[in-house]
Amino acid sequence: MWTFLKKDLLLFWRDRKEVATVLLLPLVLVVILSLVMPGMFGDDNEEEYDLDLGLVIEDDQEQGLDRFAEHLQEASEFQDGEIEELLIGVNAMPPVEGLVEYLNNPDLAELVTVESMMKEEAQEEVEQGNLDAALIIPEDYTFHLLADMYLNEPKEQSLSFQADGQTMEIEILSNVIQSYLDHMNLQYAIAGAGGSVEVSSDDLPQGQIEDVEGQQSFSMEQYFTIAMGALFVLFMAATVATRTGVEKREHTFNRIALTNSPPLHYLFGKTMGTFILSWLQIMFIFVGSHLLLDVFSDQGVTFWIGLILMATVYTLAIAALASIMTSIMLRLKKQETGDGIFMLILMVFGVIGGNFVPIYLLPGWLQQIGEMTPNGLVLATLIEWIQYEDLSILFMPMTILVLMVIVSLIIGIKLYPKRGDIS
Amino acid sequence: MLETIQLTKAFKGKTVVDEVDLYLDQGESVGLLGPNGAGKSTTISMISSLLKPTSGDVTLNRKSTIKNPGELRKVLGVVPQEIALYEELSAYENLKFFGRIYRVPKGELETQIQETLDIVGLKERQKDLIKTFSGGMKRRVNIATALLHNPKILILDEPTVGIDPQSRNYILEMVRQLNEKGTTVLYTSHYMEEVEQLCNRVYIMDHGKVIAKGTKSELLSILSNEDTISIQPNRVDEAFLAAVKEIDGVRKVEISGDEINIIAKKSSNIVSDLVKIGDQYQVQIMNFQMENPSLENVFLHLTGRTLRD
Repeated sequence: MWTFLKKDLLLFWRDRKEVATVLLLPLVLVVILSLVMPGMFGDDNEEEYDLDLGLVIEDDQEQGLDRFAEHLQEASEFQDGEIEELLIGVNAMPPVEGLVEYLNNPDLAELVTVESMMKEEAQEEVEQGNLDAALIIPEDYTFHLLADMYLNEPKEQSLSFQADGQTMEIEILSNVIQSYLDHMNLQYAIAGAGGSVEVSSDDLPQGQIEDVEGQQSFSMEQYFTIAMGALFVLFMAATVATRTGVEKREHTFNRIALTNSPPLHYLFGKTMGTFILSWLQIMFIFVGSHLLLDVFSDQGVTFWIGLILMATVYTLAIAALASIMTSIMLRLKKQETGDGIFMLILMVFGVIGGNFVPIYLLPGWLQQIGEMTPNGLVLATLIEWIQYEDLSILFMPMTILVLMVIVSLIIGIKLYPKRGDIS
Repeated sequence: MLETIQLTKAFKGKTVVDEVDLYLDQGESVGLLGPNGAGKSTTISMISSLLKPTSGDVTLNRKSTIKNPGELRKVLGVVPQEIALYEELSAYENLKFFGRIYRVPKGELETQIQETLDIVGLKERQKDLIKTFSGGMKRRVNIATALLHNPKILILDEPTVGIDPQSRNYILEMVRQLNEKGTTVLYTSHYMEEVEQLCNRVYIMDHGKVIAKGTKSELLSILSNEDTISIQPNRVDEAFLAAVKEIDGVRKVEISGDEINIIAKKSSNIVSDLVKIGDQYQVQIMNFQMENPSLENVFLHLTGRTLRD
């Protein structure tokens, strides 16, 4: 196998045009896209989202507050002075009013457009894809929330966040609302412990992605670095398959088949070669972009370890994909047929995986399909990794990619033609 | 040593090799002669285990090689018709790669590469990339690659196609010397003169079948009762040609360039008849030649076509 690997690496290295294309083209594209695309999709390199949230308020806040006040009087655990102090705090910033105010604050308005509507209308708009999500504040929510927080009564009503599917936008919206609720819970808890509920808007989450729960933003440069890295590595699988086609067309493959070398050594040589080349390629793109554009300047060692881990598993998956393509290419009569089919598949993977246009510009359902492709999965994961740097983010995608490696290798081996059966 | 028994290959119902029986004894040089498309390369692909036959068998020392070709591959060197080399690698790198996968022991590989390069006369150019070589030089490296593991049997499939006469002579001399040193050779070509020069025995194939076999003299004896006459008329006239075919004793008439080759029954009165017909159709015969029969004539006699048709 090492003989085949050495030969493949040497052949690749000798093809200077190919080397330049594989290494320099993605870097050039990252630079160009980073310069051009922010003007098209955002500003100042920050992602610009236009999220539409339907707000349904079924709760009667005044009635809820009155009912809570009466309920407090009936409760034996508070003294008169404490009840008065608590009610002042709650009335100063009632929970529903606070949430509505927060959702409409000018900072968040850049991110989310909130529209009040009836429940049925909101649900219909979500289903039709006109709204990213709907937030339903149910009847008696104010009373039950306060009763739960201060009197430990069972929570009978919860906010309902409804969305059609799970996209990056929906996740952001959900995080924004959850973040506010966490903040509010904390403030009321402090008030319940004898402190006061702070109502200054400065204390509210700012509503921009980078300020939510320590989450960082990702820049266009980062997005395109990862997107181009994932895309060009994907093309490496097709490049290797094409080279197999050339070996078949130029009869060097037949000459190999005339020797007693085990047939699968050829396939494993190709797989290993793809892994090494694509790993070097993606790392070259990541490091090159960083050196050229300072792409990952705010990231630490943990980030780089996660990035390298993910890149390694991804390139293994691409290598396994190349083994399938190699076996198919050997079965096809015409190399051009294989080249055409593989390029078409990879272009589709590239589009739905978000490698050509930013993933958040794609419809939600397409984003979900895109994450089923190895390139889409690695792109979505690494974007999340940039923002959260939490190792648990990597676990599931890496497991999926490892499964892809195993399944692809099995398919590649099964499809590999037996001696005497080569077209 | 190596034998094919009723070897047959059909693609999509079309039989391209039809029950071919041939054998090679140790140290022999055997020719496989036939026009393009006769089925020579398919036969070789089956013998060398590259292609599975539809039916029939290939045996090495009376053991079938179809299911277990390992032993055959150890002793067989195949020079394909195509230049099966990596253009982006040097001659040395190509030989090293193929030497390794032919499992030439590491300690012997370097010596073997240098000896093989010496045989093909390319020792001085070993570090140059194949893509910089001429067609003849590529053909020589193509042969060298098949010699790396010291094969006992060497199969050459049209090894001189598309090269200059000097390289062609070099290759023919090289094959002759290898055969003299004991290598068994199966040489396929559609160049009759190459096969005549190199081979002790010849198989003639056409339309997938062996249509004649034997030593050169055995094959030529097919024409022992016939004369081969070549005439060069000032013009080829259809009516004249039809009249020639009608001459008593004429068996085959074939146009080759500006010449007409005629095979006729020995002692027939063809010369005077040709002159008469020439006068009748106002065709002047510029040149007239009685030829010694060749394998080309044998092929013409057997198939009605020339080898290069």
